Amino acid sequence: MANNDNAPSGNIRLRFTTREGDLNLDDAAPVLIPSQFRRYQLSQYINSQLNLGKPVPFEFLVNGSYLRTNLADYLTQNGISAETTLTVEYVRARIPPQYTASYEHDDWVSDVHVSPTNGGAPARILTASYDGRIRVWNTSSQELATSPAPSDGGHLSSVKAAKFVTSSQVASASFDRTVKLWNYSETASESSPVITLGLNLYGHRAGIEAVTAHAPSHRLLTASADHSVGMWSTRKSDAPPAPEDLIPKVITKEGKRRKLNPSASAAQRGPLSLMQAHTASVTDARFDLNNATVGYSCSLDHTVRTWHLPSASLVDTRQTSSPLFCLEQMPALQLLAAGSANRDVKMVDPRASAASVVAMTLKGHKNHVVTLARDPSNDYVLASGSHDGTCRIWDVRSTKSSKDGITTQSVFTIARESLHGKPTPVTGEGVKVFGLCWDARIGILSGGEDKNVQVNTSENNG
Amino acid sequence: MDRSTPKKRKAITRDVDNEDPALVSGDEYDFGQLDGTLKDGSDDEESDDESVSGASYASGSATSQEVLNGALEGAEDEDAGVTKKSVQVDITPHPDKAALAGKEQRDDEEEEEEEDKPNYRVVKDANGNDRYIYDEIDPGDDSDYSVAGDDANTIGDIPLSFYDSFPHIGYNINGKKIMRPATGQALDALLDSIDIPQGYTGLVDPNTGKPLELSKDELELLRKIQTKEATEEGYNPYEPTVEWFTSQVETMPLSAAPEPKRRFVPSKHEQKKVMKIVKAIREGRIMPYRPPKEGEQEEDDLPNYDLWVDEQPRADHAMHMPAPKLPPPGFDESYHPPPEYLPDDNEKKEWEEADEDDRDKEYLPTDHSALRKVPGYGHFVKEKFERCLDLYLAPRVRRTKLNIDPDSLLPKLPNPEDLRPFPSHQATIFRGHNGRVRSVSVDPSGNYLVTGGDDGTARIWSIVDARQVWSIKFGAEDPVNVVRFHPSKETLILAIAAGDNLYLCAPQIPEGLSSEIGTNSQNILDIGWGHATNGSSSKTSISWTRPSPSQQAKGVVVRVPLGHTAKSLSFHPAGNHLVAVCSATTVPASHAVSIHTISKHQTQLPFRKRIKGGGTPQVAHFHPTRPVLFVANQRVIRAYDLAQQSLLRIIQPGARWISSFSLHPTSTTISGSDNLIVGSYDRRLLYIDVDLSPRPYKTLRYHTKAIRTVGFHPNVNRYPLFADASDDGTIQIFHGLVTGDMMSNATIVPLKVLKGHAVTNGGLGIMDLAWHPTEPWLVSAGADGTARLWTS
Repeated sequence: MANNDNAPSGNIRLRFTTREGDLNLDDAAPVLIPSQFRRYQLSQYINSQLNLGKPVPFEFLVNGSYLRTNLADYLTQNGISAETTLTVEYVRARIPPQYTASYEHDDWVSDVHVSPTNGGAPARILTASYDGRIRVWNTSSQELATSPAPSDGGHLSSVKAAKFVTSSQVASASFDRTVKLWNYSETASESSPVITLGLNLYGHRAGIEAVTAHAPSHRLLTASADHSVGMWSTRKSDAPPAPEDLIPKVITKEGKRRKLNPSASAAQRGPLSLMQAHTASVTDARFDLNNATVGYSCSLDHTVRTWHLPSASLVDTRQTSSPLFCLEQMPALQLLAAGSANRDVKMVDPRASAASVVAMTLKGHKNHVVTLARDPSNDYVLASGSHDGTCRIWDVRSTKSSKDGITTQSVFTIARESLHGKPTPVTGEGVKVFGLCWDARIGILSGGEDKNVQVNTSENNG
Repeated sequence: MDRSTPKKRKAITRDVDNEDPALVSGDEYDFGQLDGTLKDGSDDEESDDESVSGASYASGSATSQEVLNGALEGAEDEDAGVTKKSVQVDITPHPDKAALAGKEQRDDEEEEEEEDKPNYRVVKDANGNDRYIYDEIDPGDDSDYSVAGDDANTIGDIPLSFYDSFPHIGYNINGKKIMRPATGQALDALLDSIDIPQGYTGLVDPNTGKPLELSKDELELLRKIQTKEATEEGYNPYEPTVEWFTSQVETMPLSAAPEPKRRFVPSKHEQKKVMKIVKAIREGRIMPYRPPKEGEQEEDDLPNYDLWVDEQPRADHAMHMPAPKLPPPGFDESYHPPPEYLPDDNEKKEWEEADEDDRDKEYLPTDHSALRKVPGYGHFVKEKFERCLDLYLAPRVRRTKLNIDPDSLLPKLPNPEDLRPFPSHQATIFRGHNGRVRSVSVDPSGNYLVTGGDDGTARIWSIVDARQVWSIKFGAEDPVNVVRFHPSKETLILAIAAGDNLYLCAPQIPEGLSSEIGTNSQNILDIGWGHATNGSSSKTSISWTRPSPSQQAKGVVVRVPLGHTAKSLSFHPAGNHLVAVCSATTVPASHAVSIHTISKHQTQLPFRKRIKGGGTPQVAHFHPTRPVLFVANQRVIRAYDLAQQSLLRIIQPGARWISSFSLHPTSTTISGSDNLIVGSYDRRLLYIDVDLSPRPYKTLRYHTKAIRTVGFHPNVNRYPLFADASDDGTIQIFHGLVTGDMMSNATIVPLKVLKGHAVTNGGLGIMDLAWHPTEPWLVSAGADGTARLWTS
């Protein structure tokens, strides 16, 4: 074998580390490992050291890349001396996501969300569609409820985002410049769950691209194409009245403008504040997961901005190199992931003390990256959905340094099942992914231009 | 010109008159004429000794006769007359040639005489003194000084046409009228009027007493006898020679004779000779050859001429160069090389199989045991010839070569990778149009895109997710030719040229929902209604009307009936004015370019008539900041100052047919834009720096088909980009950095060829381009029914 020249002893000194707290070894001292060991043998060794009840498969990262050969071959390929002590990081091995189900829609699916865990209640899937409806599904591909038609208080144009605030309250944001809060009630008999309009929120002057909810503080954040970030209350009582001039009017056939259907009227409320600083369409807004008084927004003007929400003031602006479409926080890393028009995901460091704006770039998509979701079970794993018709799963621990800074290759790529195995078109025509959600109970849900919500298994729920 | 032509024609007719009618009439060869010719010849013979007088045609042949006589003088005998006569007959049909030859001869003689004769005579005058009488000086033919003859026309240098109405054509030197000679036409008419029977000879047949008539065959026979041709029918005097017996004498002819016996018996004669030598050697009379011993030098009397014995080594001179030397022969060139130089079988085989040009050696080292066994060298002649060529062609003068690295001569262009971002990837396809997408435009906020197509629809799309959010249909017979967004960010106003109308539209997005921006736009468009009805300033025939109710429901506010199909629309950057160009040739010149004022609902037609040259107007754009309108016709771009109503500048790009042009949005001077790009149907993209020259600064010929449209990025300060789109289905992106520094020219770097649009059967590729207002993104409209977004 090739290693015989390099490592006559046949042993390599390895130091095992991990960033997963529950799997730390007691003894961090380097150990001698035979150079013929592959991933499987190393995984067995770690398991024997950890004394776990159920064996856990591990992957091994050496210098930011996964070990795919035996150790000796890795050393020769990378020109590393056999006498150095290698630091090997072990991570839980991932199973490739498997396709499980599809949820068919009448029109493009713009967003998908799963109800928060609420005791023993079953998980519900919320989808927003370009036909102006939001729908609630159970996990066995059954449509439980649909929002009403425009004449009955529904959205007048395509819904761009919908989120569960609580398991009984839903917020939806639409291209028709309104945010609507819906009450979703599920009686004991599952046959008649209904979505009823709770609150109309008016205030944006252009289409709304995204909405996020923070249930404990009863706050919503919206991102709109009118360059503003809106903060709203989900409670009727503490929300200000709606500005009269922004209540939309429908143009009738005769060209007359009249107020919206008074019959199906719900309470109309305005924003708590509209935060203006962006110079182009705001595409996504997020609450900080640790501190609900902090909000982040990203925009087509290339910036990620940090807001202090109670005072509605701008804290910080981070300028990147391309328009940004979506945002996701990685709390363990203190980073914000932002999907960009430059076909990559930029890991933006929002802290003012950060030396560089973009800490890491996840490269691999072939078109705009428009949606992001965090792995609920792993702080280092992220999924992204793109207009190229794929979702990719990234592990930020597997990195490479190049002239463009630190970059990462994707671990897995999920193609659209609606293509039936055909290759994905380069521009993702017809299969663009618009919405993505990663839920610990269901898996990875992605909705897109193919009018489907596709469910793929994630980590341990296969 | 008109006057000289009839004059010339007259001269020709006169020439024809002078010629022999027989020669002119050709096949009519009658006997009397023949006789006359023969008689002329005998006349000439008689006048053989007459002195030469005049320069007439007859004297020419007489002179030639003299010359010929001179030539025959030596051979003259009793029947010289016969010879003369035969010669005379021979030359008569070619009097001109003979005359020419004779004249030349005479000229030569005269020249010789002139050299030695004095040009005066000495006579005695009345007093007995010598008097010198000088010869008349001949001024020569090309002299202006000439004395008119008695019959010469004295009217001077005026056209003869002045006399057209008179029976005479001028006056001779005595003042007598010179009558107009009969013209060829008149003679022809006379001859035509006389009816001469076929074969008329004018003779009487002595046998029958009737007029002698000869048939055509008989005449042909007579002609042959006269010209001494063989009279036989179909006789070819120039048949190819058949060599029955060879005319060449063979040096070594083949012979069937048996070998003679002497070839097989020893020669007695040779034996005798050998024995003679043997005897002489025995007697010691002949010493056989003995090789000279070392140091024994034979002293010959033969002189040695060493040419180079005194040669001095030449001083090294810069211009002298010795002939190139051959390398000295190596061991392997020996006839008996050491064994290590000999090739083994593999090497031999390889050498033999290699192409002659690929061999590293011309020869294959071969071992011969003795020099005499060495065969002739097959390549000898070739090798020597090549050596001669080397010597002949080798430069023998030292040339001072420019020692320049060719790479350093290339302009230093930045690497395209360093010039990112620019559109490089196809991001989105906007599919929906049925038929060609004619035009595309991006709204000033960068969120929406409008396309117009041959299916008569205009559609607005959301640019990021490629969702169609608004559309209007004008009908399939009204294709939407141009769509343009109003440049103001506060409004969303759309100008649509569909069919023969121009529509101004304030679309509500999303459809059916009143919005603030939509209302603003509608108000801006509605302001002018009152102005239009006042009618105070409307001078033109085009009045703005309200569209149909169904269109009004869609947000169309104004219909401007242009009456012709507009092919180009362009907003003024301030947004209040819009220029439309109807480029068809059938459009009256005054209606080709129209300027529309939105706030007044008014259409102005600034040009009353078309400027000659360059064809119909094609495209027009407003200057980004000043009230200057640029109008391009097929070949020239003219800049007009709208405030002064004057022509500011003429730009001649040199293109055969301009398809589009774009003005650099920021680099401007008072008299117009500094930089502009012009695309032409003859496949050229021209970059013109007007300060530098009105001619193109750079001509970029990278497309294989016509260029349809060109465009600068609206935000050139941030993204110094421009692009062109062609019928070959490609878009080319260029970096065009213009600096404020007057000393440096624009840097133009080709960045990227974007391929994706299909070329349709009609040979159309990309119809229109639009840049995103804030991003380095490009939208293209293709004849394949799609619009595509290209991102960085």
